[in-house]
Amino acid sequence: MKKFQIAEPKALEHVTSLSPEDRTYCLMAGGTDLMGEIKDGIIEPEIVIDLNAISGLSHIKKDRSGVRIGALTSLAELAENPVIQNEYPALHQAALSVATPQLRNVGTVGGNLCQRPRCWYYRDAQVKCRKKGGSRCFAINGRNKYHAILGGRVCHIVHPSDLAPALIALDARITISAPKRDKTIPLADFFTLPSVNVRKENILAPNEVVKEIILPPAKSGEKSTYSKLKERGVWDFALVSAAVKGIVSEGIYSDIKIVLGGVAPVPWRLERAESLIRGRKVRINSVKQAARRALADAQPLKENGYKKELVEAVLSRAVFSLV
Amino acid sequence: MRKKDYFSEAEDSTLLYYEEFRDKKTREPKPAPEPEKAKFEIIGQKTPRVDGKRIVTGKAPYTHDIKLRGMLCGKILRSPHACADIISMDLSKAQSLLGVKAALQLKEGRVKYVGEQVAAVAAKDERTAEEALKLIEVKYTPLPFVVTVEKAMEDGAPQVHGDRDRRNVPAKPFNDYNRGDIEKGFSEADAVIERTYKTAVEIHHPAETHGSVAKWEGERLTVWDSTQAIFGVRDGLAYWLKVPASRIKVIKKYMGGGFGSKLSINDYTVTAALLAREARNPVKIILSREENSLCVGNRPSSIQTIKGGIKKDGTLTALYLKNYTSGGIGRGDRCGEPIIDVYTCPNLKVEEYTVYTNTGASRPTRAPGHVQGTFALEGFLDELASEINMDPLDVRKKNYSTKNRGNTGIPYSSKGLDKCYEQGALKIGWTKRNKKPGQGNGRLRRGLGMSSQIWWGVGRPPTLADVKLHRDGSVEAVSGTQDLGTGTRTYMATITAETLGLKPENITVKLGNTEYPWCGSSGGSTTTPSVAPAVRDAALKAADYLKNLAADKLEIKPEEVSIGKGKFFAISNPSKSISFSELLREFRQVAVFHGECGGRPSDYAYNTFSAHFAEVEVDTETGQIKVLRVVAAHESGRIINTQTAESQVIGGVTQGISTALFEGRVVDNTTGNVVNRNWRDYKIATALDIPEIVPVFVDSIDPHINILGTKGLGEPPRIPIAAAVANAVYNAIGIHVREIPMTPDKVLEALKQEEE
Repeated sequence: MKKFQIAEPKALEHVTSLSPEDRTYCLMAGGTDLMGEIKDGIIEPEIVIDLNAISGLSHIKKDRSGVRIGALTSLAELAENPVIQNEYPALHQAALSVATPQLRNVGTVGGNLCQRPRCWYYRDAQVKCRKKGGSRCFAINGRNKYHAILGGRVCHIVHPSDLAPALIALDARITISAPKRDKTIPLADFFTLPSVNVRKENILAPNEVVKEIILPPAKSGEKSTYSKLKERGVWDFALVSAAVKGIVSEGIYSDIKIVLGGVAPVPWRLERAESLIRGRKVRINSVKQAARRALADAQPLKENGYKKELVEAVLSRAVFSLV
Repeated sequence: MRKKDYFSEAEDSTLLYYEEFRDKKTREPKPAPEPEKAKFEIIGQKTPRVDGKRIVTGKAPYTHDIKLRGMLCGKILRSPHACADIISMDLSKAQSLLGVKAALQLKEGRVKYVGEQVAAVAAKDERTAEEALKLIEVKYTPLPFVVTVEKAMEDGAPQVHGDRDRRNVPAKPFNDYNRGDIEKGFSEADAVIERTYKTAVEIHHPAETHGSVAKWEGERLTVWDSTQAIFGVRDGLAYWLKVPASRIKVIKKYMGGGFGSKLSINDYTVTAALLAREARNPVKIILSREENSLCVGNRPSSIQTIKGGIKKDGTLTALYLKNYTSGGIGRGDRCGEPIIDVYTCPNLKVEEYTVYTNTGASRPTRAPGHVQGTFALEGFLDELASEINMDPLDVRKKNYSTKNRGNTGIPYSSKGLDKCYEQGALKIGWTKRNKKPGQGNGRLRRGLGMSSQIWWGVGRPPTLADVKLHRDGSVEAVSGTQDLGTGTRTYMATITAETLGLKPENITVKLGNTEYPWCGSSGGSTTTPSVAPAVRDAALKAADYLKNLAADKLEIKPEEVSIGKGKFFAISNPSKSISFSELLREFRQVAVFHGECGGRPSDYAYNTFSAHFAEVEVDTETGQIKVLRVVAAHESGRIINTQTAESQVIGGVTQGISTALFEGRVVDNTTGNVVNRNWRDYKIATALDIPEIVPVFVDSIDPHINILGTKGLGEPPRIPIAAAVANAVYNAIGIHVREIPMTPDKVLEALKQEEE
């Protein structure tokens, strides 16, 4: 591990005034994964900027415009919050499914959204893959059981966040503190595919900070759920996960939004499946067929084809749990 | 003069004459065990660990905790190539880094796997040592390599060991066993099937990673090592360093697991000693979790094909096992023992081949070979049972043997497998299983499965132990064994206490030091059947001697003296007594009583047995398996401490479920490196994955094995559980998943194949 210094700024401006070209620093929230990356020699920052001394970044506030979640809110606080539990069950379930209780006590909302991929080639300091400036994705002809079946092409990572699919399904927006002024965009637009920039998973510049997540007020009759398939009971990233939000009565979804985790380099919206499910009586076969059609352009690698079947399973489970 | 045979009053209590004992005693078997269970007050009961509080409060010193004055941090540079020739190595930059006290080249010529040690440094702290490793310049010529069994077996594959007589697949099987005539057997069968089973490479991953601390004082070397074999490490160091064994002391007080990976001398231990000698300061080397994944052993994989024939009444007519097993650059595992031994089958053939690959060498892993072999054999028996529509448990009962080698050898000294079947089946509710595998409907399906187990687990003569009595009434039990966390300390205390009429907390236990009486390595489930009888023997001699003394004091005959509750008293008149400490005050010096684990009659086979029963629930949409309940019925002779024995069973089953469902080393074909070399990607079961495990110990005292009638228990609970789970999955969904770990992708694949 390379030696680094810790900086503890008291205000966001100290971060946003840094040069975006400067590659010597990185931001730390909970640090649960960042420290591992540094120890494994994946990144070698000279300065780690610990955001925890900045006030006003840890809160869950409800008002007429919805619910605001500060980026430094811990995953445990998020999971335990009664408003989240009652009005945004998908987010509650997603938060509760992350890692372990110990990691949830320290890990944060912002950190979870900005966490780097768990691809074992990316995490190998000896491998220079495309994500690290190399010329190829080692997963394509390598060991790829946990890799992306959609949206990969140049880089087959899967996005590791559990919160992201749930938040996108819930139409969350994200506020980013930037050098000139804050900007608020739909969370779905925050994440970017490797084909846009293979080195990054989102639009955040080095001197920008995730500040807040904003959830719109839950509509009347709105339900949501997050279903995550793992290999073991706890401390496992999703093989495949599905966040579903919708309004359903008498077995018919009048409104539905589906976002998958564990299948692509970004949280993956299944609009095609949504339109196949919307307005019709849901039946097990029709949901499975919708999933199959939505995945028609999936390109599984040698060892991850089973994820297609898992999508069918997890989607029907999630869709039916709200009926 | 009778007392003199086994008793010496020595001023230097370490001055013991082992050879004398060995010559006189171990040739003849010890007398038969004391059979009456009721006679014992502590042995067989549930005794909490005597060191439990120290361990859970962090006060027990592990090798990782050793801190010595002037101690340096040693680090090892490892090959990044799976196969390469070292062209040159330059240590000069590393040596000139401030704080670096020693640097050594450890390898010339060819490296054969990622992680092989090539150089080492010792520096004032970890950061400096890591920095120094980066300054070592090694030039390699990378060479073609092969890391998977399938590829290694292909024509034209790179040859791992290069030379002609050690091809990737040596032409001669390392295990070639034949009895009867298998073709005749197949022709007599009503059903003949052939199936292939695969098991993944598993990493030991003890909670405490490997590590050693070495310290020289002149020509004398002391090594603190996280090891299962202090004497093995001592002798290994003597060999490699060319230092007399008499000048080397190896110490291991507490240990966080080994599972076989710490069963012999390690290269890093020698490296620590070499660095310490060069640096003239103690050196500590602790391996990282990553190193633990690469270079300190693994359980070899296997690809086992079994062809077998069965008659309609369940009689096995023939079995033929062909196995390709890979332990990297090391040997594969002998997986054929269970199929050769446990069931009556007159016609049998076993053919096992090692396959070499460019990955770290294997080491024994908790029940080497038996885990893989049992997974295949016991799964196959269930598939055979289905062919003739017979209860799989009845098939096992039908082919029950009382002699080893499939009823063609010598009788088992004791075999309580029948009781395990009976009690295990009753506890799990065997009658409630699906009569036809996969008969249920719906997404979630439940099933019951079972598996038998055989293993060794005998003692190692001439394991020695001492009981020492001091003038102040205090008592020591001493043996140069090592407690792996399995409870050795506790039973040394309970056995001594039981024999001398004291309480376990009155006994000071000393172990884990090569200056104590000799004991073998702790592997093969041998520690309890070696150490327990030796301690008992020493304590009986002490008791006998004290009874004689007490008899003199009480003015009665020695045979009229009884012992208990800290007193010696007349059997006819318990009020006529003398206390233990009062009697010991008579001593002028420390009294040492030498005990040993004796030999055993050679006309019996000594084995341990169990039957595991599991209930599972399978999600047929996701391929997820949940183990709901396990009953583990064991026969290991007399149970010395039921509490730690239960822990042993629960631990073994937990580890077995973990490998049945999750664990497997993943190696990349292009880099030759292990990709899951951490605990995030190499998945080990968590508390949520483990159901209630019910240990059952069937009544048994082995009549011949040793004076306590006890057998080993370390490995047995690890062996049958994966097969029991696979068979339960079969019972639930009607499809046999023939590969472990049974992860969702493999279960879904098996379900799909069935559809087709």
